[in-house]
Amino acid sequence: MANIDTGGGHGSKKSVDQEIPLVPFIDLLLCCVMFLLVTAVWNQLARLNANQQQPGQPQAQDTPPPETTKLILQVQTSGYTLASTEGDRIPIPKNGDAYDQEELINKLQERRNLDQNRHDIIVAPEDGVRYEDIIHAMDIAVGEGFQNLTLSDGASML
Amino acid sequence: MPIHQPGKVLLHHIPLKFVNDRVAGGGRKSVDLSIPLVPFIDFLIVLVVFLLMSFSASGELVAQQPSITMPDAANTQALEIAPIIAIDTRVVMLDGMRVADYSTLAQTANLDRIEQLVQNLETLKRNWTMLHPAQPFDGSLIIQADKEVDFRVIKKIMFSSAQAGYTNVSFAVNGTGGSGGGGGEGEGGGE
Repeated sequence: MANIDTGGGHGSKKSVDQEIPLVPFIDLLLCCVMFLLVTAVWNQLARLNANQQQPGQPQAQDTPPPETTKLILQVQTSGYTLASTEGDRIPIPKNGDAYDQEELINKLQERRNLDQNRHDIIVAPEDGVRYEDIIHAMDIAVGEGFQNLTLSDGASML
Repeated sequence: MPIHQPGKVLLHHIPLKFVNDRVAGGGRKSVDLSIPLVPFIDFLIVLVVFLLMSFSASGELVAQQPSITMPDAANTQALEIAPIIAIDTRVVMLDGMRVADYSTLAQTANLDRIEQLVQNLETLKRNWTMLHPAQPFDGSLIIQADKEVDFRVIKKIMFSSAQAGYTNVSFAVNGTGGSGGGGGEGEGGGE
């Protein structure tokens, strides 16, 4: 058994030596380890949030929203296209087989610098695009400050 | 805490010297052992601290399925409780119940309504409204899809879920940092 000896306790004074009960302490630690091992969550799952703009979405408001310029990020099989309802289109073609994510980050940063208050973007993938590429595009958009993200059908945006 | 060698038990009654020597192990190295308690306790404390650091009070809200490899993302939020639509390259499931085949959905580009999915989601919505009469329904839904899944299928599932009133869609990903990775807590829509 482990103990703490202060070297005192001579004469009429009460001894201040203490003994740590090691066996119950080890039992407690082992119980903690067992409990934490059983309840441990090893995978770090999270979520990317998106509103959806679909024909089936119920219209909650009676009056139409004021007309504003919408920023649209199209994810196509040939690459990204950053467009807006004003009519401008910035194509970001694939770099070989992979999407040019660096260029997309640069273009989104330019957009952010033009309008710091804008936080909305519509990500519009087209048919045939892999889910992983959509998630990467959404992740980049959220990372560049466009937290108010809407996912829509790319075909309806063309 | 020493472990003592048990005393002589067998053959100790035989009055022969060489038998006694052999039984007692005379002249051999002692077999007493002691467990080094201080390093043992140090190890246990380090283990407990590590496990406490990775402890999640909300548990596993979304189970990782072997047939689904989710994509990675860094700018994520914590998960919340909501119905889960799992999509792999063979089947589409709502909370573990099969609602459609992937190959059927991937065949056409039309924005078809998945009737089984809409019905099941409407049932979940009715149940949630009955269980939470004072709270507004927020229409949260989690899509847990394999990274190879075609957007054509995702689109149909989102369309069908919107038809059932679930418009607040989240996509389950493997968190690679960011703000809210790991199991979070929340009161969402759903079951």
